[in-house]
Amino acid sequence: MSPKVYLVDDHRLFLAGVKAELSEQFRIVGSASDVDTAIGEIRDLNPDVVLVDVHMPDGGGVAVVEGVGPTNPDVKFLALSVSDQAEDVIAMIRAGARGYVTKTIDPADLADAIKRINAGDAVFSPRLAGFVLDAFAGAMPSEDDPELDQLTAREKDVLRLIARGFAYKQVARKLSISIKTVETHVSSVLRKLQLSNRHELARWASKRRIV
Amino acid sequence: MVAGVAGGLADTLGVSDGFVRAAFITLAMVWGLGAFIYLALWLIAIDRVENVDVEPVDSLQAFGLGLVFAGLVLFLGVIGWWPSNALVLTVGAITFGTAALTDRSVPGPLAALVDPSVEQPGRLRLLIGIGLLVGGLAVFASNVDPLFDVGPVLLAVGLTGVGILVAFGPWVTRLAKDLGEERRERIRQEERAEMAAHLHDSVLQTLALIQRADDTARMSMLARHQEGELRDWLYGNLPLEGVDLLSTALRQAATKIEEDHQVPVDVVVVGDHPLTESNRALVGAASEAMVNAAKHSGADKVSLYFEAEGEDLAVYVTDQGKGFDTSEVESHRKGIANSIAARMEKAGGTLVIDSVIGEGTEIILKMSAENP
Repeated sequence: MSPKVYLVDDHRLFLAGVKAELSEQFRIVGSASDVDTAIGEIRDLNPDVVLVDVHMPDGGGVAVVEGVGPTNPDVKFLALSVSDQAEDVIAMIRAGARGYVTKTIDPADLADAIKRINAGDAVFSPRLAGFVLDAFAGAMPSEDDPELDQLTAREKDVLRLIARGFAYKQVARKLSISIKTVETHVSSVLRKLQLSNRHELARWASKRRIV
Repeated sequence: MVAGVAGGLADTLGVSDGFVRAAFITLAMVWGLGAFIYLALWLIAIDRVENVDVEPVDSLQAFGLGLVFAGLVLFLGVIGWWPSNALVLTVGAITFGTAALTDRSVPGPLAALVDPSVEQPGRLRLLIGIGLLVGGLAVFASNVDPLFDVGPVLLAVGLTGVGILVAFGPWVTRLAKDLGEERRERIRQEERAEMAAHLHDSVLQTLALIQRADDTARMSMLARHQEGELRDWLYGNLPLEGVDLLSTALRQAATKIEEDHQVPVDVVVVGDHPLTESNRALVGAASEAMVNAAKHSGADKVSLYFEAEGEDLAVYVTDQGKGFDTSEVESHRKGIANSIAARMEKAGGTLVIDSVIGEGTEIILKMSAENP
């Protein structure tokens, strides 16, 4: 059974294009072009994966993720945006999105990303990997939870390779680990990104006009 | 009240009827002056004008008018025109105080005293009203006026002066405010014009080019380039004045290669470092590597990853193209690799080429920022 996918984007043209590209591989259960409709329908339809645009009126993608999260914890979000500004990326991930890709992504990669998200993994674009490396740069663990506030050497290796444009499969081969291990590392980084209170992250974010 | 003169005058001046009546009554205490003026005005027929929207004076102006009136009354007193200070001052204070308290144009003046959220003028007026009432009663009770024996003329002139200032002050400040707003509006318009000019030169030009382009590769390249430029302009990612950064130089090099070779270059930057004479070689070498990848790899995109960790600078130029045999000396790509190697060596850096036929090529450039 192919995954149920729901689309949220306020650009109808883009919505139509993505629908056409994905309808062969996925069940597109619905789409919306505003935040309120999206939240209502996603709650009713309970899709597997929601592709959500970051920039929309009335709170944007963050509002959708936060609006659905409490009632439908199993719905997974993949953020899709023309912008890959650091503040947008981090805000979506912190709200609960499990991945972030730009709209210039080609259809095959988008389909891959959706499958990966559906399988419970995280999707990091090269840019996002770069952001995370930048945000967690420097050794400055906080006192309360050093584990959350720092990337392991292995996680950094994985992120670097993703930032250099390699697919998970290639990353796995280059590091002589399994794809599953790569996915585990990326998911762990995602968790840190969502939960870390690292002051570095805050400083970095404010430097880039986030928060 | 009697012939509508007070109401007409109130409408003309833009103050409440109550205050005008208070003024007439007060002046009436001065040998009946108020009554005479009332009669005279009625005779020369200032008709009550109905249904005319007269802009009410604001509270400060009303306060000013009040002070002018007080000055006038005091002046009359000084030149000996009234029978008794106690009588005129008391009646004046009590009539004006009552007028202030009963003024219907301010809703619930009593509430204003306890509710800070009610507009300030209401509170002010209430305090003035109460002050006048108390003052009037005090003068009546004591029937002494040492204050007016000391410098009655000075007091009258001073009060009138303050009154004029308060009455016309708002007009002056409003004039100044209008001027400021006008200037701000002009600045806004200039900004809009500048933005329009910028969009015209960049986005509209590109859109026109895209409409005329016939192959999709060229179209997407134009769009991509325009997107990057617009984003830099919108989010202020432009290079800092006077500070050249390695990341900026690398981005510029990548943009140039995108334009020249119609292959997108994904740039990811972690950390940064100022551009110096020695690490400029890194930009040159990276450019050459990108050109090489764009021209010969056959890949549909090139990745550029730059990382600065302390003094360690690293650039990775990666493609997922056809790759080449690094041991094959005759290869054209090998020649370019040699030229990159020479550049890096001269700058005190290193070059590693990792290429697998059928999978792609990665060119890794490393150097220390400390190098002379």
